[in-house]
Amino acid sequence: MGITRVLDLINETVGRIVAVIAVVFAAIIIYDVIMRYVFNDPTRWAFDVTKQMFGFYFVMLGGYALKHRSHVSVDLVTETLTPGVLRIVEAAGYIIFFFPFAWVFFTRSWEFATRSLAQAETTYGAVQLPVYPLKISMCVAAGLLLIQGVSEFIKILFGYREPAQ
Amino acid sequence: MNPELIAVVMFGLLLLGLFMGHPLAFVLGGTAVLTTFIAGKPMVLGIVINRIFGDVLDNFTLIAIPLFVLMARFLSDSGVTDRMFESLRLLMSNIRGGLALAVVFISILLAATTGIIGASITVMGVMALRPMLQYGYAQTLTTGVIAASGCLGILIPPSIMLILMASYSPLSVGELFAGSMVPGVLLGLSYAVYVYLVSVFRPDLAPAVEPDEKISRGALMRMLAFEAVPPLVLILGILGSLLAGIATATEASAIGAFLALLIVIMRGKFHWSTFYSAMLETARTSAMILFIVVGATAFTGVFNITGGLRATQEIIRSLDMAPWLLITMMMVIVFILGAFLDWTGIVLLSFPIFLPIVQEMEISMLWFVVLMAVVLQTSFLTPPFGYALFYLRAIAPKEVRTGQIIRGVLPFIALIVLMCLLVAAIPSLVTWLPARLYTQG
Amino acid sequence: QDTWTMTTTWPSSLELIEGDKHFVDLANKLTQGELSIEFFEGGALVPAGEVFGAVESGSIQAGADWPGYWAGRDPAFSPLATTASLFNAVDYVNWILEWGGADIYNEIYGKFGMVYLPYMVTNNESGFRTNEPIRNLDDLQGKRLRLSGLEQGKLLERLGGNQVSMAGGEIYQSLERGVIDGAEFSTPNVDWSGGFQQVTKYWATPGWHQSASIFGVMINKQSWDALSPETQEKLQIAADATLMWSLAFTEKRASEAYKQFDEAVEINRYDDETLAKVQEMANEVIVETACESPSSAKVYLSMLEYLEDYKGWREASAPFNLGRSPNGPDIEAVRACVDG
Ligand code: NA
Ligand code: NA
Repeated sequence: MGITRVLDLINETVGRIVAVIAVVFAAIIIYDVIMRYVFNDPTRWAFDVTKQMFGFYFVMLGGYALKHRSHVSVDLVTETLTPGVLRIVEAAGYIIFFFPFAWVFFTRSWEFATRSLAQAETTYGAVQLPVYPLKISMCVAAGLLLIQGVSEFIKILFGYREPAQ
Repeated sequence: MNPELIAVVMFGLLLLGLFMGHPLAFVLGGTAVLTTFIAGKPMVLGIVINRIFGDVLDNFTLIAIPLFVLMARFLSDSGVTDRMFESLRLLMSNIRGGLALAVVFISILLAATTGIIGASITVMGVMALRPMLQYGYAQTLTTGVIAASGCLGILIPPSIMLILMASYSPLSVGELFAGSMVPGVLLGLSYAVYVYLVSVFRPDLAPAVEPDEKISRGALMRMLAFEAVPPLVLILGILGSLLAGIATATEASAIGAFLALLIVIMRGKFHWSTFYSAMLETARTSAMILFIVVGATAFTGVFNITGGLRATQEIIRSLDMAPWLLITMMMVIVFILGAFLDWTGIVLLSFPIFLPIVQEMEISMLWFVVLMAVVLQTSFLTPPFGYALFYLRAIAPKEVRTGQIIRGVLPFIALIVLMCLLVAAIPSLVTWLPARLYTQG
Repeated sequence: QDTWTMTTTWPSSLELIEGDKHFVDLANKLTQGELSIEFFEGGALVPAGEVFGAVESGSIQAGADWPGYWAGRDPAFSPLATTASLFNAVDYVNWILEWGGADIYNEIYGKFGMVYLPYMVTNNESGFRTNEPIRNLDDLQGKRLRLSGLEQGKLLERLGGNQVSMAGGEIYQSLERGVIDGAEFSTPNVDWSGGFQQVTKYWATPGWHQSASIFGVMINKQSWDALSPETQEKLQIAADATLMWSLAFTEKRASEAYKQFDEAVEINRYDDETLAKVQEMANEVIVETACESPSSAKVYLSMLEYLEDYKGWREASAPFNLGRSPNGPDIEAVRACVDG
């Protein structure tokens, strides 16, 4: 299906880029530790910057993980179902649980982010870092999660989904 | 709609979603959203976003999760840990269940370096699951020992759970850390004893090393020096930097990932492709763990605001019985709640009721809280809602059935209950160390 | 009858939550039949940093806070919460009740669709707890100190130390492990309950970084407007009564804890020369911060005008006066920045 391929490609691309950030914030943390103990000259920004990078990192990966079916589920009951019934149950799971959550996550974090942007919100110590970019990325991430859910749902409906590895 | 009914509906939806096989993270999140509508309070939905941002995105301690997973990935994808476990297995070839024992002891060490539930289980799962299954250990024993030992990280300090407990009680973080040290290590040792006994009486579950596999003492020593010592030094190095005050737990996890990469490079096992695929695997695993935290925080917030918190508190408050029976009752309640709720929810709803009662009884608050921390170890393992079960499910290959994982943890739940009885009977197991460390205050 | 959901920035173990509970009890008694406030301790509904957003968006009707947490949204919240070496507790009470302070709180919170009732005041915070003694500015050089606040951080850096931002729950362990050289947290009784005497040996007084602090409740404007004028007045009465009670309560608790600390750690007082130097630097920081933000300047100007207005009688009534008239920042410099 064209549409699922496009949606999958978006999250695959985001995932492959964002995945690298873990190494970046690891490096910043180590740099800060070294500056503190070897040069006795700690950075003023490392704490807030790594914290924000971490938030950006994991939240942007939600859709990517969904595409790879990495979000854990319990298969105690479902492994006894026939493929036809399983498809109905899986689709129902998306309708009952996933879409209400992802929709609220997306729309409410939109309000959350725009309010922060309007206030030009920053952290409140001597180092004032803007907070709204992280809040905006939470909204974008919720959008990515939502479209990946749409893709998975279509794949379930039309039987295009391979079993999880 | 009355709060008791809403609470029942929430648990009903949670179980329904779990058994439908929908991803846990979204079952939790979806249940939270649906409940606000069922309760007729859609305007409280905003707190879901407040909680996701404040508790998960804006949280320095959680940074340790991707970093520890990254460390484990570097070590396992380059084959370093496979070789480490192989050499440990040969080292312990004369001891039954050697590999399982190695898992317990490495977990105790790891537990002292990390305090977040997802981190240590994932680290041990990624490193030890494959070698144990490969060498013929039963699926139940393998998953059970990894899941149970992996949870020690949250009882043996440092621990995010103990930090939260301190902030909701009059106890300091230091007292709680010191108080749970002895019970935590003892629990780990009891796992070791159990694993040893199983492998003696049920060799089919934990096969011994075949005589023809054994290698000469010299070859073994060389193998140990090259294969086992560096990764163990790494773990001790992280622990050391933590204890020496060079780094916080979060910083130690970054140092761990960096040292792991160094070991891989020194072994000549570094390839850009495995380096990048380790990052991708880490991305998927970290997102899996942290989105469960996202769902859980949404669930807890809605449970609290729609009246579940108050309803549960009313039930507990209505209990009226002898002190020792009351404490037993409280622990039973914590145990039962542990099957359905995550530990933050349990601490939040029980502490405000339990602690004033405990204060009136004039028994040691420290002893009570640590006892509860030990009981809460079961919450990670008891189905249907147990983090350890979920994390292991995510890491284990498909041929390990979920039923096997659950069967595997049952004996360890029994061991935890035994440890609770021991701590209850001998309070000095808790109070001795803090009394020595903190003479005043 | 209306029902409100209210939470706070404080977990149940921090004694600061007593002020919130005192207000809620009193308000619920006074407004019986009209309004019922259901109070949740910190963390039960939203994390501390999100209480503001939850009230602003109307997810909950009321949230107890320390205004300084919101300085990232408007720097004016900082002087509404505390001052570096300027106001004491009585100054805050005077200013809020009779010198126009209450209107200023409502003007700043009003920008975010909220009404504010200040209801708790604490006087001087403890100051730094360290493992090496701090007696003067030399001892402060290069130290990594946990400290919250914008002006506070700037002041510390001007005095030669480094500000470390850190959540309350992480301080204890960081002190124990030596990740930071020292920390300030709150008033002596709150510090004692945090166990800081177990991980530090020295305490430097006074807490010049936070000469006094204000706490209160943010109320969503729509929820407030939905109340009858009588109910609104009853809430105001509950807030005023709690404010008076808190002054005596928190000073009593601080005295009790001071005695406990005196037996557990070595307490050093900065010498007068050091304190004069700190005052000078604090004045500079206040003018600088005020001139970066017109709304912050407006708050500071009102505070300085109060000090100037009150100065004559306060000094005439010495030694029976309430507190000191500080040798504070240049009021004209701040006035020049109000419209800037
Ligand atoms: Na730990
Ligand atoms: Na459980």
